[in-house]
Amino acid sequence: MLATFDTHVFWEALSSSPYWKGALLALELTIASLAAACVIGFFLALGRGSRNRAMRGVVFLYSWLFRATPTLLQLIFIWYALPQLWPTFASSWFKPFLAAFIALSLNEAAYMAEIIRAGLLAVDPGQEVAGRALGMSRARILRRIVVPQAVRIVIPPTGNEFITLLKLTSLASVISLHELLTASQERATASFRYPEAYSAALVYYLGIVSILMVLQAQLERRFTWSSVGRRRLRVGTSGIPTFSHDAR
Amino acid sequence: MNDAVVRAEVVQKSYDGLPVLRGVTFEVDRGEVKVIIGPSGSGKSTLLRCLALLEPVDAGAVYLDGVKLTGVREKELAPHRSEVGMVFQRFNLFQNMTALDNVMCGLVEVRRLKRREARERALEFLRRVGVADKANQYPDELSGGQQQRVAIARALVMRPKAMLFDEPTSALDVELVREVLDVMEGLARDGMTMVVVSHELRFAHHVASSILMMDEGKIIEEAPPERFFSAPTHERTRRFLALVE
Repeated sequence: MLATFDTHVFWEALSSSPYWKGALLALELTIASLAAACVIGFFLALGRGSRNRAMRGVVFLYSWLFRATPTLLQLIFIWYALPQLWPTFASSWFKPFLAAFIALSLNEAAYMAEIIRAGLLAVDPGQEVAGRALGMSRARILRRIVVPQAVRIVIPPTGNEFITLLKLTSLASVISLHELLTASQERATASFRYPEAYSAALVYYLGIVSILMVLQAQLERRFTWSSVGRRRLRVGTSGIPTFSHDAR
Repeated sequence: MNDAVVRAEVVQKSYDGLPVLRGVTFEVDRGEVKVIIGPSGSGKSTLLRCLALLEPVDAGAVYLDGVKLTGVREKELAPHRSEVGMVFQRFNLFQNMTALDNVMCGLVEVRRLKRREARERALEFLRRVGVADKANQYPDELSGGQQQRVAIARALVMRPKAMLFDEPTSALDVELVREVLDVMEGLARDGMTMVVVSHELRFAHHVASSILMMDEGKIIEEAPPERFFSAPTHERTRRFLALVE
């Protein structure tokens, strides 16, 4: 039975400004980190497919480092240890948001690299050959032909990553970033109304992920090349690895 | 020197130590149509890819209009590829572009034409292969025959010195083969220099200046169609023809 759930307290928490701001901060951090991770991950993906052995080695080390260590530890390392190692960061401009952004984008890039690499490899090699036969340079083939087609393949797993990352932003509560979890913890401990305070936070996370799912469906349609715009590409996406994030 | 548009000189090529071309010398003169036949694995496609400058050769050399292009660095080589049109078995149209954009692509990205000018020229070539009405359709929405004709237009619009066809009809449904062969015959009539890997023997008989038989990485026989079909000198050719017909 739910004898102690006070809906009034719940609505109050839901509509309070710390929650709004916390949710917005979490969303901003997610979007910024994912965007940076896509860029870094793209170059890592190219590096992994490079003919240069040293390049492949660097990419391997990177993904080993960021996938074999806990995200929470990486976050704490960048916030507390980095300024001691590198005094440039020991100053007032180095804010929790920036630290969280650096940690999460570096971490996420290791995962995005795998996804993007799989996406690039899933594009029919005949597409590149046709581009070369026309006299296009490799960079142009990549930009005009391969990447646009890889995007379509990469969207669904990237949506997964977005969700993971959104949840990972709650880790930043340990470096005193005022994101959503921190807001709900503060409200809970101040009012002793734990169910209402934490339920309100659940609703925010659910809401953000739901909106994302709608946006993702629209994005997938945009990258489906048919003049009707509704049909699905016959490209299979089953070959894309998805990761279990339990350990992150 | 002679009038060879594309020439391969004692070309050798192997993949992972497995020889695919064992010293092939081949040339096609201006306005000639050469049809290459042979069993799978005989090196026909590899020869075509070498002529299209898509594959570096291990030994020997490839010439385009008398200019040696073997050993030229990738950066300088890339633009030369547009001087040879290549048509693939599986069409290889860019999936993320409409038929029109596919044909415009080379003009815009390689020849650096303005989009408007490129569009006009591309439309003209789509008309020429009879698919102008499909200009705004994506490859996924076209039949195999239409896709292959768009692919031919994409290569032709670059005004290549020669056109290479790698089994252009073997991925097509039987009823769609004709429309592609018609376009190719039209090209031959207009004097296009062509090298065609194909087992469409009637087309070969009709259009080819000469027919070549490849086997185990070598050209073992070359003759005008009449002689090639009526009196093949090689036992291997005879056996192969018996199987294809």
